[in-house]
Amino acid sequence: MALRIEVLERKHRALLEDFQNQHPSLVEYLQRFALRHAEKDLLARTFLAIDDRDDQERLAGYFTLATAGVERRSVDALESLQRLPRFPIPAVLLARLAVDGRVQGQGLGRYLLEEALGLTLQLAESGPVAFRLFVTDAIDEAAAKFYERFGFTRLADEFPCRMVLDLKPRTGKASSQFTD
Amino acid sequence: MARFQAQTNAVLDEELSDLRDRLGLRENQKADLLREIGALAAWVIRQAEAGRRIEARIGQDVEILQSPALDRLRHQRDPIFAESLVLTDAEVERLAAAMARGFSPTPDLRQALSRLADPKRRPPRLRWKETSAA
Repeated sequence: MALRIEVLERKHRALLEDFQNQHPSLVEYLQRFALRHAEKDLLARTFLAIDDRDDQERLAGYFTLATAGVERRSVDALESLQRLPRFPIPAVLLARLAVDGRVQGQGLGRYLLEEALGLTLQLAESGPVAFRLFVTDAIDEAAAKFYERFGFTRLADEFPCRMVLDLKPRTGKASSQFTD
Repeated sequence: MARFQAQTNAVLDEELSDLRDRLGLRENQKADLLREIGALAAWVIRQAEAGRRIEARIGQDVEILQSPALDRLRHQRDPIFAESLVLTDAEVERLAAAMARGFSPTPDLRQALSRLADPKRRPPRLRWKETSAA
């Protein structure tokens, strides 16, 4: 078997220990918070990319999804607000996405983003709740450029940089135009 | 280790005894004392977990509660999982522009959606290097 995606559970604990990434916060989240957020706090769900070639299971990457509401700080009138739905705007948050440094540059990040997007679109199209945005916080310039390639827009100039993808044109009837 | 523990226990006992006196409890009310302390500590921890600073004020004087345990709690908080993502006006302007753009997927997004719909889609085959990329 090759790479597979599994929802993080207690049985995966040992796999988490070997995970390596240049950003300590991405390693720390996985090893200290991800399981608690998934099982105890019910804040987020983490999906693991497990590579089990050569009879050895290794954690190659992960991503974490949560729900969020996008709000605005100020109550001032803005012309652009006329074009927006009412705040708070419901969203799915891609809270973390990371690839082990030893397998970077082989298309796994792209594959994980596709998986996260697929799950999100599935929920947007046929889930019991509605939401409009797919949001993430890019940790650095390289990550921001990566998300921009997939249509995410930067909302800020500093890092972590909040980025959004509007799901409306990609859900419902519109989605079928992409899948032909 | 045992000696250190004994000393620590002695200091703790003395402090607990002092607190018991100040809270107006008798010597045989150890359980009540722990309940009172537990309730007070739980309130403090709840405030710290919510990201609030705890301070005592007398007139213009302010004393902030300092504690390594509370510092650890604050560091453990994960702001990215806040229920609401609050935008500034500048960010709202950019969001409005993005949402007004309509139907214009990038080539990578178009390809990603197309791949998702492909039943033959497979994950990449990975080659593990000995050390991480910088």
